[in-house]
Amino acid sequence: MLVGGHGESNPNTTWLQSRGLWISYILGVLTLHLILLSVPILSVPLAWTLTNLIHNACHFVFLHVLKGAPWIPQDQGDCRILTHWEQIDYGQQFTATRKFLTVVPIILFLLTSFYTRYATGHFIVNFVSMVLVVLPKLPQFHRVRLFGINKY
Amino acid sequence: MTPNPRLRRSRYIFASNMAANGAVCSSKTKLQDGRCVVKEVNGVRNIFSEQVEYSKLLETKDSNGVPPKKKPVRSKESFEEVPLYTAVMTYLGFYLLMFLGYFNQLFFTPKVAMEKNREGYVPLFDRFESFYLRYVYRRVRDCWNQPICSVPGAEIVLKDRITKDYGWTFEHGSPVEFSISTAVTRKVEPTLWYTGTFTKCLNLGSYNYLGFAEADGPCADAAAEAIEMYGCAMCSTVQELGTHPLVVELERTTAKFLGTEDAIVFGMGFATNSLNLPSLVSPGCLVLSDEKNHASLILGLRLSGATIKVFRHNNMLSLEKLLRDAVIYGQPRTRRPWKKILIVVEGVFSMEGSIVHLPDIIRLKKKYKAYLYLDEAHSIGALGENGRGVLDYYGCDPNDVDILMGTFTKSFGSAGGYIAGSKRLIDHLRVNSHAACYASAMSPPIAQQIITSMKIIMGEDGTLEGKKRIIQLARNARYFRRRLKQIGVIIYGNDDSPVVPLLVYMFSKIGAVVRTLRTRNIATVGVGFPATPLMEGRIRFCISASHTKEQLDKALEVIEEISDTLGLRYSQLPRFKGEVVYGSDDESQ
Repeated sequence: MLVGGHGESNPNTTWLQSRGLWISYILGVLTLHLILLSVPILSVPLAWTLTNLIHNACHFVFLHVLKGAPWIPQDQGDCRILTHWEQIDYGQQFTATRKFLTVVPIILFLLTSFYTRYATGHFIVNFVSMVLVVLPKLPQFHRVRLFGINKY
Repeated sequence: MTPNPRLRRSRYIFASNMAANGAVCSSKTKLQDGRCVVKEVNGVRNIFSEQVEYSKLLETKDSNGVPPKKKPVRSKESFEEVPLYTAVMTYLGFYLLMFLGYFNQLFFTPKVAMEKNREGYVPLFDRFESFYLRYVYRRVRDCWNQPICSVPGAEIVLKDRITKDYGWTFEHGSPVEFSISTAVTRKVEPTLWYTGTFTKCLNLGSYNYLGFAEADGPCADAAAEAIEMYGCAMCSTVQELGTHPLVVELERTTAKFLGTEDAIVFGMGFATNSLNLPSLVSPGCLVLSDEKNHASLILGLRLSGATIKVFRHNNMLSLEKLLRDAVIYGQPRTRRPWKKILIVVEGVFSMEGSIVHLPDIIRLKKKYKAYLYLDEAHSIGALGENGRGVLDYYGCDPNDVDILMGTFTKSFGSAGGYIAGSKRLIDHLRVNSHAACYASAMSPPIAQQIITSMKIIMGEDGTLEGKKRIIQLARNARYFRRRLKQIGVIIYGNDDSPVVPLLVYMFSKIGAVVRTLRTRNIATVGVGFPATPLMEGRIRFCISASHTKEQLDKALEVIEEISDTLGLRYSQLPRFKGEVVYGSDDESQ
């Protein structure tokens, strides 16, 4: 298995640009939400908050915690210290993929706030979760590791 | 590494006439006042030109007052996009694979991951980095690295293997016995597993363009004589004791074959790229490389330290824009001019099957005074009337391309690579190239095989064998492609190239098609993510001159059957309804 033998040395940078990703991503979130809505114990606001939290948790782990790529790299290990977010498009900021991935948690937060009727508890939890996901995406946070967490 | 330019995908491009000057401009697209209107730019329709042409057509009417019918200009290349539904299904497949993989990895440790006697040591393999290999690739691993028991000619003998633990280990056994014994007896007797079988299959997966992968014939006899005379290997570098008369003769023959002043050969094709580019470019140079260049070129360019900018695949407008910016703005902060600008492209791109637009690149290169490095790994011997590669195909002058590189692996049935060009360039490489200084010289029988096959192609052995093979390959390639398009599957690339990628998109479908074709005795190669982009999983057929029309017909019959059962007819382009006649489009070459 040779990784990226024709064109890129690290396919992790470009696979998010593939056709149909935006629709598939939104469908994935929708499926999660529908599954949560069909659980009888959860009320609608709780289902929305849980969707938001689970989506943000997965988003955070896959894009900002896990470093490197799930294959042996062909670029002499340059990607091993970078999270997936930092690898996207070889570090170029404000590309279409990055804008999409920044906007989705924000829109999800707005929808969740609406459906939970801006209740205080829900709001605090959702807001904190959204900030945790959107902050690492700012260009000022590129390759920044706070308090040495996740450095190596 | 500069970012991937494929950020904006537009199906139609708006090429105004000024910018279109850099693109292909044949006589039939010239308007009466001398302006150049480009109808198709790299297979993408140009809206402006169509409006201009149509308004011109409205003005001219024949005697009945009816405007003449517009003859559609068909481009030779096509890269149809994936249907959206298929793309979403592919993602769904990947979600499922990843989820199951993570679940599996979390709860069960495979045998291979349990290391013995290594307490206190760091684990040998990182769990995250081996995720894809162990949980995605391993499931379809039986489609790759199949052991063969014959020379990879038109037909190949494959060793049947079975796996009892879903791809972790393989055993030499017959698939039929395996399924019968587990279904009927439920008890396995050890003797059953070792009576393995061999299957003779039609070989559509090997790079054997001119059919020189033969176990007997003039090439094999000459190579055997070379072993008798010179031994198996020189075991030394070219700069010390490795040069032998066959290498000298090979370099002379290669230069004559290509029409250049001189050539230098190396023992390994990948190393020819990766070890010579560092001696050609250095920090302070700019390299414009195609989006889909091979790993060897990318590695060589990274090792050289030059600045790399990537232009969209075979897109002359993208290349021209980068060239203009490079010449106008120079180096990033100092604004000094670049030491040199090198354009790196391949003749035939092996994963796409597309042929580079060489006349346009040469025109651009001359206009902006850049250098051109042409990697003809797959096109040498396979394209052109005389088999001299993509230069012969377009009728270009070899002196226009500064550095011609190629490999002997594909069309000559051998191994190794060459670089050809002016004598000054080759002398520089003989002294400064890493491969010339440290790598071991090409082995004598390998060199002899190339010399003999090259002489056959050039016609110097007195027969018409070479010409026959070239014509056969061209006919086979065109016939196969036209028939596949008629079936309705999506294939990429140029109509004349012998590399035919058939797109199947979904990851499990790649495995299914390869396995199904195997049961019908056709050996093929499938490629998926991460070797290709995520949404472009494909089966890659390599047509050879040693394939007969009957073999291709049989393969096409099987492909047509499975395109219904496995769902491969993704193409939405109009299909040719008549009968495709073998060799009918020779004159349109």
